[in-house]
Parts: sequence; structure tokens; C-alpha cells
Amino acid sequence: MDQILNIITYIPLAGALVILFFVNKSNTRAIRVMATATAVVDFIVSLYLWFKFDPNKLWQFEFKVSWIPSLGVDYHFGVDGIAVLLILLTTFMGIIAIVSSYSAIHHREKEYYALLLMLQTGMIGTFCALDFFLFYVFWEIMLVPMYFIIGIWGGQRKLYAAIKFFLYTLAGSVLMLLSILALFLYNDGGIEFLNIVGLGNKATFSVLQFHEIGHLIPPTLQFWIFLGFFFGFAIKVPMFPFHTWLPDAHVEAPTAGSIILAAVLLKMGTYGFVRFALPILPDATRQLLVPIAVLSVIGIIYGALVSLVQKDMKKLVAYSSVSHLGFVMLGMFALNPAGIQGSVIQMINHGISTGALFLLVGMVYERRHTRLIADYGGLAKQMPMYAALFLIAALSSMGLPALNGFIGEFTILLGTANSSAYGTIAYAVFAAVGIVLGAAYLLWLYQRVFWGPLDNPANAKLLDLNGRELGMMIALVALMVWIGVYPKPLFDFIDKPVQYIVQKVDPGYYDKKPVTYPSSPVPAPASEHPEVAAK
Amino acid sequence: MTWSDTVYLLPEILISIGACVLLIVPVTRLRGQGAAAKWTMLALLAITAVSVVVCSNVVANLDDQTATFASMFTLDGFAIFFKLLFIVTIAMVTLLSDDFLRGTRYSPWEYYSLLAFALCGMMFMVSGIHLASIYVGLELMSLSSYILAGYYKNEQKSTEAAMKYFVLGAVSSAILLYGISLIYGVTGSLNLPEIAQSMSTLVTNDALMFGIMLLGAGLCFKIAAAPFHVWTPDVYEGAPTPITAFLSTASKTAAFAIFARIFYVGMHHFRLDWQFVLAVIAALSMILGNFAAITQDSVKRMLAYSSIGHAGYVLLGIIAMSEMGLFGVLVYSVVYVFATLGIWATVLMLERNEYAGEQVDDFDGLHKRAPFWAFAMVVFLLSLGGIPPTAGFIGKYFLFYAAVGAGFGWLAVIAVMMSAVSMFFYFRLVMAMYLKDGREALVTGGGALKLVAAIALIVTLVFGVLPSRLIDQVKISGGWVATRASAVPHGR
Amino acid sequence: MDKALLAIVLLPALGALINGVRAFARPLTPKNRMLTNAVALGSTGIAALIAAWVVFVSAGHPEQYTYFEWIPAGIGHVGDLTANFSIDFAMRIDALSSTMLLIVTWIGFLIHVYATGYMSHEKGYTRFFTYLNLFMFMMLLLVLGANYMVMFVGWEGVGLCSYLLIGFYYDKNFAADAGKKAFITNRIGDFGFILGIFLIFNTFGTSDYGKVFAMAAGGGPEKYGWISTAICLLLFVGACGKSAQVPLHVWLPDAMAGPTPVSALIHAATMVTAGVYMVVRSNVLFRMSPEASLVVAIVGAVTAIFAASIGLAQNDIKKVLAYSTVSQLGFMFIAAGVGAYTAAIFHVMTHAFFKACLFLGAGSVIHGCGGEQDMRKMGGLRKYMPSTHRTMAIATYAIAGLPFLSGFISKDEILANAYGYSNAIWIVGAIAAGFTAFYMSRLYFMTFWGEYRGGHGDDHADKAHGHDAHAHSHDPHESPLSMTGVLWVLAILSIVGGLVGWPAALGGAHPTPFQRWLEPVLLPIGGHAFHFHEASHELEWTLMAISVAIALFGVFLAHRLYVRRAPVPDVLEQRLGPVHTLLANKYWVDELYRATVIGGTLAFSRLLWWFDIWVVDGIVNGVRHLTVVAFGHGSNLFDKYVVDGAVNGVGAGAKGSSMMFRRVQSGLVQNYALIMGGGIVLIALVYLFMKP
Repeated sequence: MDQILNIITYIPLAGALVILFFVNKSNTRAIRVMATATAVVDFIVSLYLWFKFDPNKLWQFEFKVSWIPSLGVDYHFGVDGIAVLLILLTTFMGIIAIVSSYSAIHHREKEYYALLLMLQTGMIGTFCALDFFLFYVFWEIMLVPMYFIIGIWGGQRKLYAAIKFFLYTLAGSVLMLLSILALFLYNDGGIEFLNIVGLGNKATFSVLQFHEIGHLIPPTLQFWIFLGFFFGFAIKVPMFPFHTWLPDAHVEAPTAGSIILAAVLLKMGTYGFVRFALPILPDATRQLLVPIAVLSVIGIIYGALVSLVQKDMKKLVAYSSVSHLGFVMLGMFALNPAGIQGSVIQMINHGISTGALFLLVGMVYERRHTRLIADYGGLAKQMPMYAALFLIAALSSMGLPALNGFIGEFTILLGTANSSAYGTIAYAVFAAVGIVLGAAYLLWLYQRVFWGPLDNPANAKLLDLNGRELGMMIALVALMVWIGVYPKPLFDFIDKPVQYIVQKVDPGYYDKKPVTYPSSPVPAPASEHPEVAAK
Repeated sequence: MTWSDTVYLLPEILISIGACVLLIVPVTRLRGQGAAAKWTMLALLAITAVSVVVCSNVVANLDDQTATFASMFTLDGFAIFFKLLFIVTIAMVTLLSDDFLRGTRYSPWEYYSLLAFALCGMMFMVSGIHLASIYVGLELMSLSSYILAGYYKNEQKSTEAAMKYFVLGAVSSAILLYGISLIYGVTGSLNLPEIAQSMSTLVTNDALMFGIMLLGAGLCFKIAAAPFHVWTPDVYEGAPTPITAFLSTASKTAAFAIFARIFYVGMHHFRLDWQFVLAVIAALSMILGNFAAITQDSVKRMLAYSSIGHAGYVLLGIIAMSEMGLFGVLVYSVVYVFATLGIWATVLMLERNEYAGEQVDDFDGLHKRAPFWAFAMVVFLLSLGGIPPTAGFIGKYFLFYAAVGAGFGWLAVIAVMMSAVSMFFYFRLVMAMYLKDGREALVTGGGALKLVAAIALIVTLVFGVLPSRLIDQVKISGGWVATRASAVPHGR
Repeated sequence: MDKALLAIVLLPALGALINGVRAFARPLTPKNRMLTNAVALGSTGIAALIAAWVVFVSAGHPEQYTYFEWIPAGIGHVGDLTANFSIDFAMRIDALSSTMLLIVTWIGFLIHVYATGYMSHEKGYTRFFTYLNLFMFMMLLLVLGANYMVMFVGWEGVGLCSYLLIGFYYDKNFAADAGKKAFITNRIGDFGFILGIFLIFNTFGTSDYGKVFAMAAGGGPEKYGWISTAICLLLFVGACGKSAQVPLHVWLPDAMAGPTPVSALIHAATMVTAGVYMVVRSNVLFRMSPEASLVVAIVGAVTAIFAASIGLAQNDIKKVLAYSTVSQLGFMFIAAGVGAYTAAIFHVMTHAFFKACLFLGAGSVIHGCGGEQDMRKMGGLRKYMPSTHRTMAIATYAIAGLPFLSGFISKDEILANAYGYSNAIWIVGAIAAGFTAFYMSRLYFMTFWGEYRGGHGDDHADKAHGHDAHAHSHDPHESPLSMTGVLWVLAILSIVGGLVGWPAALGGAHPTPFQRWLEPVLLPIGGHAFHFHEASHELEWTLMAISVAIALFGVFLAHRLYVRRAPVPDVLEQRLGPVHTLLANKYWVDELYRATVIGGTLAFSRLLWWFDIWVVDGIVNGVRHLTVVAFGHGSNLFDKYVVDGAVNGVGAGAKGSSMMFRRVQSGLVQNYALIMGGGIVLIALVYLFMKP
């Protein structure tokens, strides 16, 4: 079944082409059915990975054919646990995005659903690629459909937001391309002009090969390569201060666009760091540890504080993403298992929780056509189910134990506090402030929207969720609870890859003696007390 | 000169005969029959193409294939590659010209014969390994293009453009000649291999350097690199659109070719002296071209400026002085030619439908009226911007690779940032076509235009997804020239 | 046994789930109400029975059951060793958790019963019991968890439930505010708690009670003294948040916005004592750090006196009880601080009895008076609601510390220990006890003695404060059996509850049965067993005598002021003047916080937002504008004037080529040529000067 990754990757594209060429523009129902069917099939097929994946092995389901031999480029697919989880997240959120669009999109449906599906192909391909060239190709392909989704079906300032998203991300990724080239050149012949002597391997773009040779690269070159990666990925994450495209893109994008953007596209950046930057460039990683950690902590607190004073629900959630992604980055650069595992888990969690929040905001937006918090209040009376589900989503986003958000944030902070790379608990302390603030802005939002008197007559006749919306939310909530209560399967998936990464970036992390615990001392028996003995 | 030598020249001979025929026809009764002219031209091109292939095979069996006519002329892979590319390009330009000529009252025959002469010049110059032969070919091409640029005889813009083009072209030719003469004075030869030979014995030498620089300046005018680009916007805007297409593809590519040939074969010894100078020119071209294009509302001017930027990219490949660099020049020429032709086809399609087709907002809402054209346009623009999976990415990849490999990191950074900037104005068109609503009037692409666009589209996509064939071909074709450069070790 | 424990925890969860789904089914028919009762009472009742059985069987022997691995966080570093940072979902039953288990399940069950009567008029009936069951679930996790993480889950969970229940009347703004305030204040505490947990992981490589305490006790103070100070202080921050200690006490009084059964269960009997439980649970660490213990004792003492003094001047019956709760919690922390951990838990228990009784009694009063909560509008209620009156009288005596009710015994033990630790703390505690006696008696007299001061008829309905007013409430009326019955049970418990800790000074055993029951929790440190505080019986008698005297004085004073003379207008108001204003306004702590912390944060956030729009994004857009405007226009500036000049010039008068030639001669093309010449010069310059 070595084709499985190809199948998963190209099913959406196939669906998109069918929609484009075989479905009549006016027949929106058929278009929706087709799109939904494609997404569902893709999800079901991707479940194959979940069941057949062997957590004790690293790279699996590999598929490799020569693509551009003269450039050393292979068409090389393959996944490890991290990628599998992200792919499953993608296919799942793909369904949510499409189903959520039924009521949101009312013109040019054909192109819309086709683009959504193409986007999905791009995202899955990015996660599957084990060839750096191939990775870059998919990475760039993703930009175009997203540009159209924001630009055609977006809000008032859609043109501005779309081009901003496109150019900002592109500027980062072309720099990443240069870093990829430098890597390849070093692996190949070196750069004689700069007296950098290469390894003279039969150079390819194989990520695995880069993993092998990474630590041989001289630190200065590592630094520059890392810088290129950093711009490519940090803009996508987005890290403070490269985050300003995010609020615009989120606010202007249609609901489904925001869901996909938050759930998957942002993860591309963090995935890039964990897959490429850390294992390939260990020295540079440790060299740039502190600035990145500081930026992450700033992002955590900054994002939370700014969300606190937002007037637009979507903007609030968007800024909260900046805060959450700050956690992910912080945990990743703790360079210990807890930190990296936590950050991977948090990628998934943020996808689910924030995706759910955007979905919910979209639902009420479709009813009232406003996202201003001030226009709401007391909705809990009118839409109890909506209020309950929103509360659960908010709680999971603010990291309440027994919901998914907590698992990620706690593990990240545990790793950060324990990180010998950071060498101080200070980062954890500041990041923990972000949790407090998280509760503050989300609960304040919840109070202003759902509690208090229902005084705005426009809200008096809002309808509660219908079956479709309820179905989507219940699926998401089920995931939140499951990950919150029993996340072990996820941890099992990423355990091996994380060990691999830690050993790459911090060799000898594991070669220490384990601590031994004494047996619990027996409490003093009552007979020791003279009075008792006397009686 | 032996009889067998003519085999080298056979394609040029054929095309010049054909050109003369096209020139004579109008005195006969056939005058004024555009269709006939078009078919004659296409037939002529087909014949030439066949002859190129045949001759190349014949030559491949001859012992010494790199020097004839006192080693002024060669027919190596490099030459063949570009000759075929030119023929295809001219063929497509012919198809583009059809409508336009039907719209005007000028006779198509002269037009096509001029195109043929230009083609002859181009084919001649890419075969030249002797500065004199190269110069001759260059002039033949240039003179033909001057006239073509002014083909709208009584349109101010056109005539003025032609005049500017002519005067400045003359100036640049003078510069070029002066440079050549200086080089000759120092090295005592005009034959590129010999020049290289004697240079290898020289230490650095300001007269020679000045010669090289004048030569470079002249060539930079032909490829329209800053600061020798000044003629480009006016000429591109003023010339009839098919001619603009011709200028921005065929003649530009020809200039790329000789630029690469001269510097790779002849000048590689003093690379460390001129590399940086060219790097500055490349940087200037990329920055000025792309930034200036942002503010243009006329599509023709926008493309003119962007073509200046592309000249800068191609210079990367020449600066690098490495195999990858040269291959980059070849690949990029192909990629650039087809994407650009596709765009011109779209512009012509709009002009044909009584839109000016020259303003960005003429494209508003095109996706509704002409979905195919809009989609093709997006692909071409992505290709020019270097976004995968289009061929443009492969081309840019080679050039960036060469730049980084040659240690010009800073230049590479400028290049990639500029390619990001270029998306800013390319996507102005995309935005207009897909994100805005325009007039509802229906548009109909002429068959010929659609054919050109389709060919360009297919090439752009196929070479984008499966570039191996192209790359392998390039490696074979560019081999001989490339070895000249890589013969010399890098570094001081 | 492990199954039984799991059942205890899961039954309420199940109830919450079922009722939670049913909560959306409306209208609330009687049948639905019965179903809700069945689910809620059934789940908690069975859980309580199983709990009793479990405690009886296990008899306080420490047992631990691991169910599944919850968070396998991978290998971490402990000093120069590695440990597997794995967090199990495990539960522990020992003397301490058994005690808490019984309190939570049984008091919880009783209050469920009471609520069926009290909430009978509510629209959100089912929702209420959903929250209540959810709370039981979380609270049980908290007390049964076998490591700090499971405790933390329950810890945050009960916080959530308290948030939901305080905001039960969500359409009332004050309720919504109070809920948010409670949750966020608790979060601030949890901030310390979780950091403490991280330090525990860094130090011991696990959060499992058994391992942590074994390792700590093995290492002793010399090895872990310093770090355990840090850990304990951080944990105590969490305890302050949950148990409403100064300066994080502000949320508890507002929490009274919730329905009264909630105030009784969550904000008096169980949840707020979680902090005490946590400190006692960590006694090994606290005993290794005298500094931290001192801090605990001082904070406890300050809170005790501080809250008690505020209680003097409150007129809202629930507010008085709220502040008395805060003050009593202060007593518990005094005990924990001075090392009398058993005394702390003992007081937790007795306090659960009488304070629950008081709150429920108050609830019954409010219920009877149609939602009135202002004591000045009550009075003479003993005629109308006899059993409420009797039970509350008993509870009041208990909390006032009159011999020999439970409150007297537990509080006396605390004070005795405090005296042995430091006189100052004892004095503060004694004075606080005196205040308590006074304001509780004040509450009792103002409510039940004298004449009824409330109006008759519907005019309370609009005053309905938090509690949805019941329509048609005429004269005060006794509450249904479901409420009074519960009151009686709790009253009896507050009488006899103290017997298990009967002091040696009064002929009891030393250590008392309760102390011996909890002894296994107090591990020996570095081989030294834990020793209970001992003092000569004479000293104990004197201390008792003093505290009884103070208590009696308080009661007497209250009787003088509120029975002899009309309680309204409040005599304190006239006598104390500004002091009274200070107390009535709770020392303006809320206002202070609003002005500094909250206001500051919001202002700073707005500043940041401005920064984000105008600086961070400003730079981005600035670059964009620079690109378009400056570079764009700039870089084709010379083109522009030359070209435009040409075109316009041509367009203007130009006819025919001759004109154009003139055009050309007039210099435009020369400009171009000039530029090209300049280009060559540029090249030369670059070559000569810039070439590296």
C-alpha cells in the first residue's frame, strides 16, 4: 500500500477537477455533495494511516520515484507520527470547512469548493513531502488557492488582506528557498567562492540526507541557513512581530478560510521548524534559542493582552492564535521531549479549538451579519445550545484540564520549565501568565456575548443551532474531550519522532542515569506514644 | 572555404532566400492576400527548422564541428538550441500578427520578410564564435526590428518609438564596436576561443577591461538591462503589439544567447574583474525593473519594465560563470519566451475585441467573459513570478542556484525579494481578472491567438511539472560552451 | 476497591452528563423534574454509600490505584539524573482523602436533597443539578487524586463549576461579573499552583504523592529545605486563590450571587477548603520549610481577623456568612501554618457541618421571606419558621465557640496550637474568635428575635436579589421538609461532630482519635516521627477559659445591641462612624484592585493594540507604501518626465515626421543617450572603486 499517501494527497485534487469540469455551475447542490463526498472519502482513507501506522518505526508509507534526476530531486513521500497527526487534522478540518460553507457561500460556489479542495491537496502534500524541493513546491502551491479564497469570498478589505497574506508569506518562503539551495550546495560541492568546502555527496534534496549531514555544517553557515528558514517559517507561524497579516487575513477571510488558516496553514510554520530547522541545524538552533524564546514569550503575552481589548470577535480569536502559537514555539525550542511533544500536541489542539471558535463565530455572523461584541449580549437565553458549545470551545482554548488545550499547554510549560537548553524557569513563569490572561479575555468575551440581559432586540429572535451546525460542533467537542482525557495515543504517535529530533539537536540528552525513588517511610505506630501505652 | 562548409550555413541561406521571396511577391498579383503571406511564412519557417535539424545531424558527423569560415561560425548544440527556439518563437509571432495585419492596410509581405531577415540575423549571431560575425548578425536583426517597430507608418507613437530605438541602437552598436576594437587591440584576435587563449596569458589590463565593459554595455542595451534600458518602455508601448511580442521574446533571447556565448567562451579569464560590475547591473535591473513596473497602469509598459527585471535575472546566470548558470540562461530563455508570448496573445485578444487591452482595468472580470484566457493568464503570470508548479520556477531555480553557488549571496537575496515584489504587480492583473467585476461584453479569441496561448500554456505547465526533458536537453546543448567556463578554477 | 473508587467519581459525572443533555429539553414538566431528581440524587446518593463502604473497608490504610497513563511527557532531567515525566490517572485512598471523601459525598448529598426543595421554582432546574453533579465529580477527583496533576484537574474543575453556578442567573449582570471574577481570581492562584507543580517535577521528577513525599522525607530539610520553601510558597498561592485568603479573598463574598445551596456546598463546606486539604496533603514539604509555614500562619491570621472585622458591619445575611467563611478558613490556615495539620482538617470537618447548616438555614430564611436577604428587613422569624430557627441557633452557638459544641473543640485545638507556636498569632486568633461570636449572634438576633420588619406581600419580588423571587410570597413561611430535614441532620452533626477530637484536657485521649486516624499521613522526615503538640492541662484550661469568655462577651454584646434595643438603625453605624464605613466597604479592596490591577492591564492592552496597528503593522504597510510610492514612482521618475515629455510634445503640435525629427533633435533622445553614457561611467566607477 505504498500509494496510500499519494491517494490521500490527490483525492481532493481529483474531486476539484471533477467539480470544475463535470458539474454544472448552477447546480450548487451537486457541487456541495461532490465536495463533501470528496472530503469525507479523503478523511476515511486517511484513517488508514491511523490504524496501520506503527509507532515504533520512524518513517513509514514511503513512496519514492525519481522526479528531476539531473537536479537530484526525487518525488519522495513519507510520514512519521507528527505528519500523520497533522494529515488527519487536515482531512478532518477539511470536512468541517466544506460543510460549514453551505450557508456561508452564495456565489461562485463551483470555484470556491474546487479551490478549497486544491488547497487541501497542497497542505497534505506539504506534510507528506520528504524531499525538500517537493516540500517547497507544495508550500508555494498552497498560497494561490488561499489567496483566491480570501480575495473572492472575503469581507470589505478582502483585496488588501489577500495580497498582504500572499506577499508576506511569499517574501518569507523565497528566503527559505535560498536556504534550501545553500543546504544542497553544501551537501554537493560547497561554495568555493566563499571557501566553503562541501561534502561532495551525490547530492539530493532528501530531507533524511540533510538530517544526516546537518551537524557537519559549519556554525556560521548554519546560522545563515537558519535565518532563511526562520523568515520562511516564522512569518507563517506567525511569530511576533511578523503576525500582523494574520488578523487581517482572518477577519476578511470567509469562515471556512479562517478555519483552514488557523487549523492547518499556521501549523506549516511550526511543522517546518520541528521537521527541518531543529534536526538539520542543531548548532544554529541552540545559538538562536534565546531570541526565539523571548519572541515567543512576547507573542504569548502580547497576543493575549491585545485580544483582551478587541471589539471584533474574529479579531479576538485571531490574536489569541498569536498567543497560542507562541506556546508552540516556546515548547519546541525547549529542546526536550516534553517541550516538543507538547508543542506538537498543541498544534493539533489549536487546530481543533481555534477552528471551532472560528466556526462558532461564523455561525452567529451568518445570523446577524455582525461580529462586533457590542452588538450581542444575553445570547445564552436565546441560543442555549450554541452558548454551551461556545463555552466548551472557549474552555478548551483557555486550557482547562480534561480538555485538549490543557494537555498541550501543560506539557509545553513542563518542558519549558525543565529545559536544560533554556536553563531557567523564567520563560515558563512568563508564559504561565498567558494562561491567566487567556481565561481573562475568553471569559470576558463570553460574558459580553452570552450573559447579561438580552437587551438588543435584533438578537431576540435568533435561532439556535440547526442539525448541520450541531453535528459539526459535536464532532469537534468530542475530539476536545477525547484528547483532554486520553491523549496517550497521540503521544504514542509522536514519541519516536520526538526522540529522534531531540537526539539530533541535543546528542547525549538521554545518556544519564535514571533517578531511583526510596520506598515510602512507615508512619510512627501509635504505640510510640507513652500516654496511649499507659491507658 | 570548402563546399562542405555551406552545410553549416544552409538554414541561414534558406531563410534569407525565403525572406527575399517574401519581399518580391508583392510586385506580383498575390499582393494583399494576408492569408497567403502567413502560410508562406509558416512554410518557410518549417523548412528552415527541418534544415536546422538535418544540418545539425550532418555536422555532428563531420570531424571538426566548431570552426568554419576561418573559425567564425559554428553549429554546436548551443546554436541549434537557440535557432530552434527562435524559429518556434517567430512562428508564434506570425500567428499573433495575423489578426493585427488583417486589421491594418499595410501589406503583410514586407512585414513577414522583415521578420524573416530578423530571424536570419538571430540565427547567424548565435552561431557566431567570432565577434565580427556576431556583430553582423546582431545588426541584421536590429535593423529589421527598427523598421518593424515603426510599422505603423503614420502613428506618432510607433514612428517615434522606431526613431528612438534606431538612434539609441546605433549608439549602442557604436559602443559595442568600440569595445570589440579595444579587445582586438589587446588580444589581437576576434575569435572567441583565441581571445580566451591570449587572455589566459595576460595579467589584468585596464584597456582590455574597458573593452570588455563597453562590450558588456552594448550587450546590456540589447537585453535591456538597467541603466541601458531607457528605450524599452517607449518602444514596447509604441510598437505594434505583435512586434512588441517579438522584441520582448525573440530579439531579447538572441541577445541573451550571444551575451552568454561571448562571456562564457571569451571572457571567462577576467571574470573576477567584471563579475561584480555585472552583478551591480543585474541588481539595478531587477530593482528598477520590478519597482517601476508596480506603478504602471499600461500593461505594455508594465511588461516592458518587468522584462527589464527578467534581463537582470538572466544576468545572474552569466555572472555565475558555472554550468548551472549557463543552463539557467538556456532554461530561462525558453520559459520566459513562452510565458511572455502567452501574455501577449491575451493582450492581442483583448485588443481584437475593441478593448484597448493596454490598461490593467481592461482585464476586469475577465474570468467571467473568458475563463480559459483568464486561467491561462494566471499561469503565465505565476510562471513569470517563479511560483511552482510552473516552468518559471524551474528557470528561476537554476539562476538562483547559480548565484548562490557562485557566492553571490547578496545578489540572490535581492533576486528572490524582487521576484516576490514582482508578484505584487503580476497579481494586479489576477486581481483584476478574478476579484473584480468588469464589463459584461463577450470576448472571442481568434483561433490563431488561442493556439498560441494553448501552446504556451502547455509548455509552461509541462516544463513546470516534468522539467527533466528540458533540463537534459539543455545539458547536452550547452555542454560545449559550459565546459569553457568550468575549465577555469574559481576563486582568486 | 479500585472499581469502587472509580464508581464514586464517575457516578456524579454520569449524572451530570445525563442531566446536561436533558437540560435542553423544555418545558420543564413535573415528570422531567422528577427524572432530574432521580438522576442527580441517585448518582450522588449511591456514590455517598459506596464512599462510606470504601472508607470502612480501607480503614485509612494508604492505597493507590493507577487506571491509565494520562500524559506521557517523556524523559526529563532532574538535576544530573533523568526521570520519566509520566503522569498517571491514579487515585489514592488514605486517612486524609477518606475524611474529605466522606465530607464531600455526604454533605454534598444532603445539599442535593435540600436543593430539590429550594430550587423547585427555578426554570434552570435541570441545568442547576447538572452543574452540581459536575461539581461533585470534580471535587471528588480533587480529593481522591493520587498526584498533584489529578488534583489540579479537580482543582480547575471545581473552579469552573463554581464559575457556572455563581453565574447561574447569567442574565443578571452582577452574577455574570461575580462568576468571571471568581474564575479569574482562581486562575491567578492556579498560576502559582502550576508553577509549584513544575518545581516539584524539576526536583523530584514526578508529581505522585507517594514518590514525592518519600523522596522528600528521605532527603530531609538539609537536602530539600530551600527548594521546598519555594514549592510550598507557590502551592500556597494556589491555596490562597481557592480558599479566598488575603489578598485573593475578593471573589468569595461576590460568589454569594449564586443560589444558596451552592454557597453552602461550594463556598462553605467543600471547595473553599480544598486549599487547606492541599496544604495538609503536602505537609511533608511544609514541615521541611519553617519559613513557608510561618507565611501560611501569618496569612491565615491576617485573613481571620480581616474578614471577621468586615463581617461585623454587613447587613446582607449571606455576606455575613461569606465573610465568616473567609475568616474560618483563616483559622484553618493558622492551624496548618503552626503545624497542627489534624486540627486544620478537624476544623474543616466541623466547619463543614455548622457552616453548611448556617447557609442552608439562611437559604431557608430567604426562601421564607420571598427572596429577601437584608437582615434589617427580617426579625422575629422564630415565630414563623421554628425548625429553621432552632437549627440555626445550634449552628450559631457552634461557630461562636460556646462549649462544648464541635466548633468550640476544633477552634480551641487550633488556638492551643497557635499559642504553642506564637503568642501574637494566638492573640489575633482569639480576637477574631470574639468578632465571630459577636457578628454571628448579631445575625441570629437580627433575624429571629424582635418583630418582623419586612413588608407583607409581593413587594419583595422586585427586590429579588440573585435568588429568583418566588411569586406570591406573603408572610414568612417555614420551608418544606426536604429543607428542614437536612437542616436538622446538619445541626445534630454540628453538636456531636466534635466528639471524635475530644481534647485530652477534658479527659480525652492523647492523641485524640481523630489525630491517630490522620497520623499515617504525617510521614516521619529523615527518620524523625511527627509529634503532636502537647501542653499542660492547666494551660489548656486557661486558654479554653479565655476563649469561652471572649465568645460569651461577644454574644452578650450582640444581645445588648440588637435585642435590648431595636436593631435598626444599626447602633454600630452611629457608634463607630468612620470605622464602620471602612468595614462596611470592605476596606475598599475591590475598588483598589479595579483601579490598579484591572485598570492597569486594560490600559496597557489598549496601548499594545495601538502599538500593533500603528507600529508593527505600520512598518509592514510602510514597506508596502515605500515600495509602491517611493521606489515605484521614484525608480521610473526620469523615464516619466522624458517619456511624458516626448508623448505630450508629440501629441501637442506635432504633425508629420518632420516635427518629430525636430522633437528628436530637441534633445529627448539625447537624454536617453546621456543616461546610457552615464551608465558606462557608472560601470567604470564600479569597476575602479567598488570591486571587492
